[in-house]
Amino acid sequence: MAVEIEHATEHHPAHAPPPPRRGLRRLTGAGWLRVLWVMPLSFGLATLLVIGARAAMGFDPLWELQVLIVAWTVVVPLGFLAALGGFDYWAYWISGKPTRPEDHSGHGARTWKDYFRVNTDHKVIGIQYLVTTIFFFGAAGLMAMFMRAELARPGMQYVDTNTFNGLFSVHASLMIFLFIIPAFAGLGNYVIPLMLGAPDMAFPRLNALSFWLLPIAGLIMMSSYLVPDGGAFAAGWTNYVPLAVQQPDGNLMFQMGVQWAGASSIMTALNFLVTIITMRAPGMSFWRMPLLVWANFATSTLVVLATPFVAGSQFFIMFDRVLHTNFFNPEMGGDVIAYQHIFWFYSHPAVYIMMLPGFGIASEVISVFARKPIFGYRLMALSLMAILILGFSVWAHHMFVSGMQSWIRIPMMVTTLVIAVPTGIKVFSWLATLWEGRIRFATPMLFALGFVTMFVIGGLSGIYLGSVPVDIHASDTYFVVAHIHYVLFGGSLFTIFAGIYYWFPKMTGRMYDERLGKIHFWLTFVGFNVTFFPMHWVGLQGMPRRVADYAPEFGNWNLVISIASFGLGASTLVFLYNMIVSWRAGAPAGPNPWRALTLEWQVSSPPPIFNFHEIPQVVGSPYEYGVRGARHAVLNGDRAAVEEREKVEA
Amino acid sequence: MASVAHAHDHPPAAHQSSRVDSRLLGIYFFIASEVMLFGSFFSAYFFARVVVGAEGGWPPEGFELPVYLALLNTIILVTSSFTMHWALQAVKRGNRSGLVAGLTLTFLLGLTFLLIQAREYTRLGFAPYDNAFGSTFYGLTGLHGAHVFVGLNLLLYALIRSLRGHFGPEPEKHLGVELPGIYWHFVDVMWIIVYVTVYVI
Repeated sequence: MAVEIEHATEHHPAHAPPPPRRGLRRLTGAGWLRVLWVMPLSFGLATLLVIGARAAMGFDPLWELQVLIVAWTVVVPLGFLAALGGFDYWAYWISGKPTRPEDHSGHGARTWKDYFRVNTDHKVIGIQYLVTTIFFFGAAGLMAMFMRAELARPGMQYVDTNTFNGLFSVHASLMIFLFIIPAFAGLGNYVIPLMLGAPDMAFPRLNALSFWLLPIAGLIMMSSYLVPDGGAFAAGWTNYVPLAVQQPDGNLMFQMGVQWAGASSIMTALNFLVTIITMRAPGMSFWRMPLLVWANFATSTLVVLATPFVAGSQFFIMFDRVLHTNFFNPEMGGDVIAYQHIFWFYSHPAVYIMMLPGFGIASEVISVFARKPIFGYRLMALSLMAILILGFSVWAHHMFVSGMQSWIRIPMMVTTLVIAVPTGIKVFSWLATLWEGRIRFATPMLFALGFVTMFVIGGLSGIYLGSVPVDIHASDTYFVVAHIHYVLFGGSLFTIFAGIYYWFPKMTGRMYDERLGKIHFWLTFVGFNVTFFPMHWVGLQGMPRRVADYAPEFGNWNLVISIASFGLGASTLVFLYNMIVSWRAGAPAGPNPWRALTLEWQVSSPPPIFNFHEIPQVVGSPYEYGVRGARHAVLNGDRAAVEEREKVEA
Repeated sequence: MASVAHAHDHPPAAHQSSRVDSRLLGIYFFIASEVMLFGSFFSAYFFARVVVGAEGGWPPEGFELPVYLALLNTIILVTSSFTMHWALQAVKRGNRSGLVAGLTLTFLLGLTFLLIQAREYTRLGFAPYDNAFGSTFYGLTGLHGAHVFVGLNLLLYALIRSLRGHFGPEPEKHLGVELPGIYWHFVDVMWIIVYVTVYVI
């Protein structure tokens, strides 16, 4: 059965833009001109609303910055979204007016301007996501450079302690909420509908909206530096109470930013889930889906179910700060530890949200570049689901030293060690896939292999930290910093790079520079290890994390770490240069430079505006590399050949 | 499957690989997410009530909740679920006036619920900042109230469209009534859980 798509009696020709508005009417049409006057208007409106309400209720003083920040960070972004046109269709719908004919003018990109409007094409949205997240990646990376400059020598040199606290807090928040999670969402956005043989996502307008929430979240977090009296939020990305409640007003920017980023990722995840369930091409059973789709299926389930908890935890802090409630105030019957439970009930699954899509990318890349079927395909998919379920049962291992009831530690330690089993299954499956493969060391493969090795190191230190006795010793030291960077940098970031290089030819139609790609990999790989490996040692010797100053005996290692980290930062420039230059003038890549079987490689590069002229028919596994005559799908006119063969076989 | 190669006028029809309509599935996942949001508020509630506890049991000494007023409110909200169902059945049979009447009744019942709750808030005699009991009480009931507010908005939109004659008996044509209805039933069921937890036990 085919989904009926609403068509108007008269529709515009192929994705033509709506007729341009003239004169003053240009100010009221969706777009940046409307943004220009709606944003100040909504800013003033929010201010008036707060002051008016405070005056009506007799509060003093009228100008209360905390309340204003909450109002601004809610109303101004909503105004921005409305002005840009994010709600236009729904506004027509709810007012009962006939909705615009489905002319698909929201689809596709013909000029660079099309990337700056509410665009409903999943391919455009995917690129919007990636470029935005790389911007925030750069910003957060610069903050890390500042931190390493300060930490190069013992004593205080460039920043004061509060600024330093702000630097690592904003660095982590941006990297997690504005880079790793949405970068995977961006890659998924681009690739998943193509891999499924679908013309777009299930809810294209929701998809467009969920992208535009992202820059809002990022700008809120970054502009926290501008908040008077105290600057950026500085309680770490975990924002523990009671510190978070006692901090200056900038802390609110974290809470509000997280709400926007969280809403964005829930909307995208919901979209992925519905797309994967309802829009698979004929023949694409769950057991024929590429592992990247499986990985995003598991991740999206985690996002939909877990993210509300981080929303809740930040709501409570906001209430405690602004409404003076007592959710976490022990003097008034609240529970401080409750915050950590609620926060980590999201944030541990979030670790898998930041890792599972990377597993999917690694599976795609390793199978293609080893020219072998993925080893244990079903077990790979099932281990993803096992991680999804177990991921909800380990959160308190972040709280071994928090002062919670000590009996919780043992079950949490056991589940933490158990979750290493499905993860181990995946690692061994990748190794078995490589075994006797005809490996080609192109840049995506290098990053995928770098990921497997680095992730194993991060996983092993994770097992250390998951054991109560070791954790009590190593908690809040640089050992933890080393561990999280081995899993999030060596794990997530390496797979993001692998994914970007792997799908770059598909997205742009051009080949990246292989030599620069390899240079980028080796600079990153070496810089990464020299930066983060010594942190294990200084951590075990007791250097505390999140402190701007340290004992002089750690000085030498920290100098090494800082120098290496600058090299690591510089390696990103190679990547950016390669991306920009290759996008403009790379060699044409052709539809399938990697000779891959999955569906996105069976169409032109970049793909046609609706992906497929005809929905493909899936006939086999996506990973039958090196198997003679194996096919994943039948497309455009190939049908005759396959029917012929089926007749012969019958 | 139709296999006509399209010019790029519009997308090829997607293959429907599930018996469930994508929009229904979408609202179910959304509700799953909402349930978890309530879960985080219930967590905070039980941390305050069970893990920390309060002197003199729960509610703490000197605090009282209007159990019977809230029961009345519960009855009102449960009734509104039935009127919602009636509206949907009406549109499925092509009965437009039944649809409008059902939606109007549901909307008014929901509005009554909210107004009674607002009145209850002003007469409770304690505030969210008094103690953790107050915080979690207002947190949970307030979160639910916000959901009633959203639900009322959705009902209003459906009502406007039904007055303009937009819905019909074909499954595709009354999704705009069905989806707010599902959300409304969710808000209703959630209230029963909140009521039983906060007021009764």
